[in-house]
Amino acid sequence: MSEAPLLQLDNISKFYGSITALTGVSTQVAAGEVTCVLGDNGAGKSTFIKILAGVHQQSEGTIRFNGEEVMFDSPRGALDTGIATVYQDLAMVPMMSVWRNFFLGSEPTKGVGPLKWIDTKKAKQIAKDEMAKMGIDIRDTEQPVGTLSGGERQSVAIARAGYFGAKLLILDEPTSALGVRQSGVVLKRIVEARNQGLAVIFITHNPRHAYPVGNRFLILNRGRSLGSFAKEEITVDELTQKMSGGAELDALEHELQSSGVSTD
Amino acid sequence: MRDGDTSPRPAPVLTHDHARFLGDSVNEDQTVAAASGGDVATSAVDPSDSLAPAVDERLLYRSIFQRLFIRPEVGAIIGAVGIWTFFWAVSETFGTVGQTFGWLDTASTVGIMAVAVSMLMIGGEFDLSSGAMTGAMGMLIIYLVKETGELGGRGLPLVVGIPLSLLVALGIGYLNGFVVERTGQPSFIITLGTFFALIGLKLGLAKRFVGQIQIGRTDEASDFDVFRTIFAAEWERNGHVLDTRDFFYIALVAIGLVIVLLAISELWFQRRQDKQPVGLVLFVVGALVGLGGAVALHSVDGVAGNAIIAAVIAIGLIVGLAGWSMWRYEPSVDRGTVVLDSRMRARLGGGLALVLLGSVVAMLIDSSSNHQLFFPFTTQGIRVILFLVLICVGIALIAMASQAALSVNPITKFVATSVLATAIAVVAGTIFVDSSAAKFRAALAPLIALIAIVVLAWAIVGLRYTERRVRAARADRLGTRLLALGAVVVLAGLAFRMFFVTADELAAGIPPAKTSVRLLWFVLFTIAMMWVLARTRFGSWTLAVGGNKEAARQVGVPAARTKTQLFMLVSVAAWFVGLLVAFRINSIQANSGDGQEFIFIIAAVVGGTLLTGGYGTAFGGAIGACILSIPAIGIASARWNTDWRFLIVGIILLLAVVSNKFLRNKAEGIRR
Repeated sequence: MSEAPLLQLDNISKFYGSITALTGVSTQVAAGEVTCVLGDNGAGKSTFIKILAGVHQQSEGTIRFNGEEVMFDSPRGALDTGIATVYQDLAMVPMMSVWRNFFLGSEPTKGVGPLKWIDTKKAKQIAKDEMAKMGIDIRDTEQPVGTLSGGERQSVAIARAGYFGAKLLILDEPTSALGVRQSGVVLKRIVEARNQGLAVIFITHNPRHAYPVGNRFLILNRGRSLGSFAKEEITVDELTQKMSGGAELDALEHELQSSGVSTD
Repeated sequence: MRDGDTSPRPAPVLTHDHARFLGDSVNEDQTVAAASGGDVATSAVDPSDSLAPAVDERLLYRSIFQRLFIRPEVGAIIGAVGIWTFFWAVSETFGTVGQTFGWLDTASTVGIMAVAVSMLMIGGEFDLSSGAMTGAMGMLIIYLVKETGELGGRGLPLVVGIPLSLLVALGIGYLNGFVVERTGQPSFIITLGTFFALIGLKLGLAKRFVGQIQIGRTDEASDFDVFRTIFAAEWERNGHVLDTRDFFYIALVAIGLVIVLLAISELWFQRRQDKQPVGLVLFVVGALVGLGGAVALHSVDGVAGNAIIAAVIAIGLIVGLAGWSMWRYEPSVDRGTVVLDSRMRARLGGGLALVLLGSVVAMLIDSSSNHQLFFPFTTQGIRVILFLVLICVGIALIAMASQAALSVNPITKFVATSVLATAIAVVAGTIFVDSSAAKFRAALAPLIALIAIVVLAWAIVGLRYTERRVRAARADRLGTRLLALGAVVVLAGLAFRMFFVTADELAAGIPPAKTSVRLLWFVLFTIAMMWVLARTRFGSWTLAVGGNKEAARQVGVPAARTKTQLFMLVSVAAWFVGLLVAFRINSIQANSGDGQEFIFIIAAVVGGTLLTGGYGTAFGGAIGACILSIPAIGIASARWNTDWRFLIVGIILLLAVVSNKFLRNKAEGIRR
C-alpha cells in the first residue's frame, strides 16, 4: 500500500467563466487502494469526476497517471488510458440483457471482412465468468439488466470496467440511491475490485459507506479541499464532522434529530 | 466467515433452483461474504445481504412456455391467426390460394418497410417521410431512365439509374439522420419536414416534366427484362404442376406439428436421468402410424373411412407421445387422489353445461334462415353469436378450472383436462353435424377434433410424467429451437400447397393464382434483419441507442452514427419498395405511398415494438404487416364496403397497444 501512486493530482482547479467550481485539490490513489471523495451537494464532486473522466479539462494543476502527466480531451481518451467511470444512473441499458450490456461497445466478433457477427457464446460465457469472479452468480445472462437490483447493476458495471482493462475505477455515488442491503453489496464489489489490484475512486456523500472501504479520504467543501487523509489519520466521526462543515453542523444536527431526520 | 477463501462459488445454475424448489435453504450469504474475503466493516454491511437472485423466495417458477406466451411477437402471431380465421369464416373465398397471395403481396411491400421502420423505432427514432419516400424513389428511377423530357435524351440505362437512385436514397436517409443528430430535435418533427418536402417535389416535378401526376413506362428502358425479373418476376401457380404435391404438403405439415408437440413436451416435462430406449421404439412406431394415417386420410373419401383413419391417427399420436415421454421424462411419483373443490366443480360442470347448451341452441335454430330478427341480426347471425358466446365462456371456465387443477395434483389435473378435451370434442361434433357451410364441416371440424385429441393425449401424458418446476436452460433451448423448426416445417408444407397445382386440379378448372418475387424479398429481408438485430454489433447498438442513448455513448457506442445508419436503412428499404412498385405496374402516381408511413409505424407497434425505443423485433414488424394486410383483402373478399378497413385498422391498433402494455407488465412482473 506504500507503492508509488497510480494517479497523482496536484492543485487541480476548474473555473467555469467567473464561477470557481474547484480550487487547489490534491490527492492520490495507488493500485489496490480505495480513495474516497466525500462532499456534500455542491462540493465539487461532479466537476472532480468529469475532469478525471475526460468530460471537462482542468483549468489549473496537473494529473499524473503512472508517473506521466496526462490531459484527457474526451471520455474515450480517459477510457483508453485505463480510467473507467461508472455513473450512478446511466451505467446500463435496462431493457438489454446482461451479456449485451457487459460487452456493449466492445462486442467480440467473428467472421470475415464486413460480414462480422457477435460471438454470442463466448460473450455470454465471459460475462458469466467475470461476474462469478465478482462473487455474483448470474444464472441467465439473457436476463434484462432492468430486472436486476440497483446494486447488481452497479456490480455488472464494475465487473465490466475491470474486464476491459481499467486500472482506475471511478464510481460516482454508487450507493446513494440504494437501500442498506444493496449498498452493502456494492461496497463488497468495491473491495473485490480493490483486491484484484484496481485503484478505485469512490465518490459518495455518506462517510459511513466510505470509511469501511477507503484507504484515503479526500474531503471537498464548496469547491475547496479540506484535506486528503490516510485512514490512520482520521476517524469516521471526524470525517462526518469535516465533511458537513464542522461546528455549525452540531447545532443543526441536534435540531434535526429532534424532528426525526437523519443526517446520513 | 472470512476464512480467506476467495474462490467464487462453483454453484451450477440448477442447484439454486433445485434447492428452492425443494424448500431447502442454501446459505448464500456465507459464500458471498467469503468470496469477498476483504475487511468490509460489518457495521455498514448487513451480513444477511445476498446478491444471489436465484434464492429469492419471492421468485416464482415460470416455465419458458409461459415466458414465450408473453412475448409480443407471439401475441402478434395469435392475433394474425385470429384475424385470418375471422375473415375465413365470414367470407366465401378468403381462404383460397389466390386471396392468400393477394394479402401476402400487400404484406410484402408494407412488411419490408415495417421491418426497417421497426429497426429505426427500436433505435428510438421515427421516420414520417418513409411512406412518401417509397413513391419518390419509384418516380426517381422512372425519371432517370425515361421521363427526362426537357432535360434531354432518352434517359440513362437501368444499370446506371438504379445505383444512382440508391445514392439519392442513402443521401435522404443521411440527411434525416444528420439533421436529427445535429439539432437534437425530435425526429418526428424533422422527418415531417422531409415528408412535406418530398410530397412537394413529387408533385411539382411531375407537373413540370410530364404535365400530369402520373409518370410511367419503365418498360421502355434498356435492360428492363433483367431488372423486371429481379424486382417483379411472377409465379403463375397454374403453370407449375406437381402431382406429388399433396404428399409433401400433408407429410410436412404433419411432421411439423409433431415437432411442435415434442417441443412443447420438452419445455413442459422434467427430463429423466436414465433414458429408456424402449420408449424411443414406441415413439417411432407411433409416429409412423400417425404419419401414415395422415397421408392416407387425404386419399380416402367418405365419412366412414375418414373416421377410421382419424382413429388410427389418434392412436398413433397417443402411442408416439407416450413412447417419447417414456424415453425422456421422469415418471410422476405421487399422483394423489381427485380433489375437486366446490369452485372447481362449479366451473367444470358449468362450463360443460354451457358448451352442451351452445350445441343444442345451434342445432335448434334454423341455420339457413336469413330472416331479419332485429337490425342488424338475422336468425342465422344470432345462432352463430349465441353458439360462439356459449362455447367460448364454457371452454374458458373449464380452462380456468384445469389451470387451477395444475397446482393440486396430477390426477385432478387429468380429470380437468379430460373435461376440456370432451368439451372441445363436443364443439367439433356440433360443427361437423350441423354447420351449413361445407368448408366448416370439411376443415374446421377435423381441426378442432385434432385439438381435442391432442388435449386428451396431453392429459394422459401429463398424468404419467412429472412437470418441470425448475429452469433448465438446455431443455428450454432445445424446446424453443424445436418449436421454431416445427413452425418452419409447417410453413414449408403450406408453401407446397400454395405454389403448386396437381394435374387433377388443373383438369377441374382451378382458377389461376399468381404471386411475385417480392414475397421472397420480404422473407429474405425479414430474416436478414432478425439476424442483424440479434447477432451483430449494429443490432446491439440499435437496441442500446434506443434504450439508453447516454449509457450507450458512455461505453463507446457511436450513437449518432448508429442512428444515422438506421435512417439510411429505412430510406434504402423505401428505395427498394419504390423499385418493386415501379417494375410491377410500370408507372407511378405522384401521391404513391403518401400516408403509408403511419401504416408502417402501426405494423411495428402491432408487432410489439415500443414507441419509445429500445425494445422490439424485426419479426414482429413483419407479422404486424400481415395483420394489417389481411383485413384489406378480407373486407373486399367478404363483399363489405372497403371503407370499413380504417375502422378495423384502428381497432387492431388499440387492441395491440393495450395487449402489448398488458403483456409487458406481465413480463416485467415475471422477470422480477
